[in-house]
Amino acid sequence: MNQPHANPDAVTAALEETRGGLARADYLCSEDVATAVFLALQLNKPVLIEGPPGVGKTELAHATARWLGRPLIRMQCYEGLDESKALYEWKYGKQLLYTQVLKDKLGDLMQGAQGLKESLARLHEFDDTFFAPEFLEPRPLLKALWAQHGAILLVDEIDKADQEFEAFLLEMLQDYQISIPELGTIKAKVPPICFLTSNNTRELGDALKRRCLHLHIPYPSLALEQQIISLKVPVLAAALREQVVSLVQALRKLDLKKAPAVSETIDWARTLVLLHASELEPGIVRRTLNVLLKFQDDIQLADTELTGLLAASLKPPHAR
Amino acid sequence: MSLVLGRFLQALRAAEVRVSSSEGMDAARAFAVLGLADRALLKRGLGQVLAKTTEDKLRFDDCFEQFFRSEDFAALESDLAAPVEPDFAAPAVETQLTGPRAEALETMLREGDRAGLQLALAQAAEAARVQEIRLFTQRGLYARRMLEAMGVVAVEQRMAAFRAAGDQASAAALQASLAQLREEVTAHVERQIVLLTANAGTRLREEILREVPLSRAEHSDFALMQTLVRKLARRLVALHSRRRRVDDRGRLDVRHTLRRNIQHDGLLFDIVWKQRRIDRPKVVAVCDVSGSVASMARFLLLFLYSVSEVLPKVRAFVFSAELAEVTTLFETLPVEDAVATTLKRHGWGSTDYGRALSQLREKVLDEIDHRTTVLILGDGRSNHGDPGHRDLHRIHERAGRVVWLNPEPRVFWNTGDSEMRRLSAACDQVESCRSLRQLETIINALMRMRT
Ligand SMILES: Nc1ncnc2c1ncn2[C@@H]1O[C@H](COP(=O)(O)OP(=O)(O)OP(=O)(O)O)[C@@H](O)[C@H]1O
Ligand SMILES: [Mg+2]
Repeated sequence: MNQPHANPDAVTAALEETRGGLARADYLCSEDVATAVFLALQLNKPVLIEGPPGVGKTELAHATARWLGRPLIRMQCYEGLDESKALYEWKYGKQLLYTQVLKDKLGDLMQGAQGLKESLARLHEFDDTFFAPEFLEPRPLLKALWAQHGAILLVDEIDKADQEFEAFLLEMLQDYQISIPELGTIKAKVPPICFLTSNNTRELGDALKRRCLHLHIPYPSLALEQQIISLKVPVLAAALREQVVSLVQALRKLDLKKAPAVSETIDWARTLVLLHASELEPGIVRRTLNVLLKFQDDIQLADTELTGLLAASLKPPHAR
Repeated sequence: MSLVLGRFLQALRAAEVRVSSSEGMDAARAFAVLGLADRALLKRGLGQVLAKTTEDKLRFDDCFEQFFRSEDFAALESDLAAPVEPDFAAPAVETQLTGPRAEALETMLREGDRAGLQLALAQAAEAARVQEIRLFTQRGLYARRMLEAMGVVAVEQRMAAFRAAGDQASAAALQASLAQLREEVTAHVERQIVLLTANAGTRLREEILREVPLSRAEHSDFALMQTLVRKLARRLVALHSRRRRVDDRGRLDVRHTLRRNIQHDGLLFDIVWKQRRIDRPKVVAVCDVSGSVASMARFLLLFLYSVSEVLPKVRAFVFSAELAEVTTLFETLPVEDAVATTLKRHGWGSTDYGRALSQLREKVLDEIDHRTTVLILGDGRSNHGDPGHRDLHRIHERAGRVVWLNPEPRVFWNTGDSEMRRLSAACDQVESCRSLRQLETIINALMRMRT
């Protein structure tokens, strides 16, 4: 055996620490999520998060940043995103200004220069100045590399970006460094913790997947969703909360165009609080279904199934 | 990289999960970080490192479950702690022919030290790199390597020395325990093939199951075996009925055509093509389910069942001491129940071939004719009693064909209480049938036979 194995207690403690830290940052983890974040920190690997909309993919990066007290640097992806938006731009304005200043100073500078050759050589010394870091406008990726004490880099919805951009990301994710032609290679002082999210609108490349830990976040279990609601909407009475979550979980089993996400459960819970609901009765559910469901067809389907669904979710849990 | 993880990665690749070398390295780091204390955690973590698509995740899960079986999981850690020879490149064999290991083997054999032998066996398996075996045909090679690594050559020399010194008793005792050891080593190698390919894609797995001796197939393979046997039985039937139809297409049946067209004054309106009746053979199948074939009785029965499913005229019998007909049982119960019930009612007893064959003769002789195939599955071990060859001769005289399939390798026939010599005389065909592959070949030949 070549590698010493981790002390089991230390592993358990570290996982507990991860779970606890994220909970304090208002994020409740499943075992899978805790494992992924733990491994990401241990192995210095980016995490690619996939899963249906609204299950907390984006939020996980935010919560990790809050927990570790590091800045979150977010890069929202879209079609046509390119290096100049993702990595850096030259500050043309500043460069221009500098040229003006230089022009004014040109006379002083050239004084005493012997012939054209020497003048050019003197000018040449200023070349580098134009392309110094001062003229660089850092975009998210570069910001993440430059962050003094390490950052959380969130590459959100990578599936929306083009494949070329995905390829461009590889270098960054592999070695946490980037080469800028005029400056050479810029290496992260502290490797950022990277989260990439995808809603699977297109299949991501194998190369990218190989470099990342892969975390699939499904809709939360009944128990976890209960906890999330009690964390996010603490004023909602426990009994009602149970009914709310059971009903949402039952709705997800229907053949809907778009199943309600966690964010919608939260919104619905808040709505019910505002309406001073004390129990899930059909009337109030019907009136507020549009908080949970975004398509008219879905609302209709849920409506027809409602009696059965409600009967099931109103039963006390132990009777189920 | 730890040996266990290395093998797990091999198994994953065999299961068609794509694992790049960089992912392999990540897995090693994750493995070191996570440790073995928490199986579920290790599964989650390695899964995140190694399986990146839905299909891969499913395969990964299966593979992990089988590879890190929960029962063995606790033992793994101590295995890992044990020093492992780092370099297998040098042929480990020569170095261990003599010396303390060989003496130890002899002592263990003499004293019947089971635990010691098991340990030596496991070490020899490492030394011989049994985990690399992939092809069934290599099993002899690997078994020999293992035996040599255990120091068997020196023990054989000792045996010869005993003989030379006239100490026949010691020589015989040593020989007996050595024979048992051989059997165990072979079993180990064969099980290893089954295990190593347990996670292989279904195709590969089926390949293996076709080759593996029925006696070594795992209980858990029963379901796959079942589909395999069914597939085989169906294919054989389809193949042969298709051939008949093809043969007959396009041949004008002159007699029938003329007769039917008499009303049209001999004008051939209504043409009749020649058609031969699809004759499927009548089969009388008899299966030994006694203790001596217990390890494969399930599979033999499975086969018997599948044959009765696809062929309409099969009468199925089983016996250990008494002969019993199971045709109706097979027709009414689903396969698992049928096999289980048959084994419970009739299995495990001691064999009485004489009695079974005379009962068979009483029960079926009247309906046996030249179109009947009699198929007997059994090891022909009569417990030194009457093998029943006379009754079989009577049956043979009337039947179209008598085929005996023996699950033992031919070398064992006629040793001990095996009566194959006498029984063979009453058969048209006697085959050693240890695997599905052989079964397939034999049945195929059987069905080609025109009836
Ligand atoms: N495990 C959780 N703990 C706490 N809050 C959660 C959890 N899961 C989801 N949420 C809540 O759900 C909301 C939606 O999450 P988020 O926006 O991260 O989803 P997403 O998966 O990124 O969705 P999309 O695919 O639409 O971008 C968040 O505001 C968050 O408050
Ligand atoms: Mg999001």
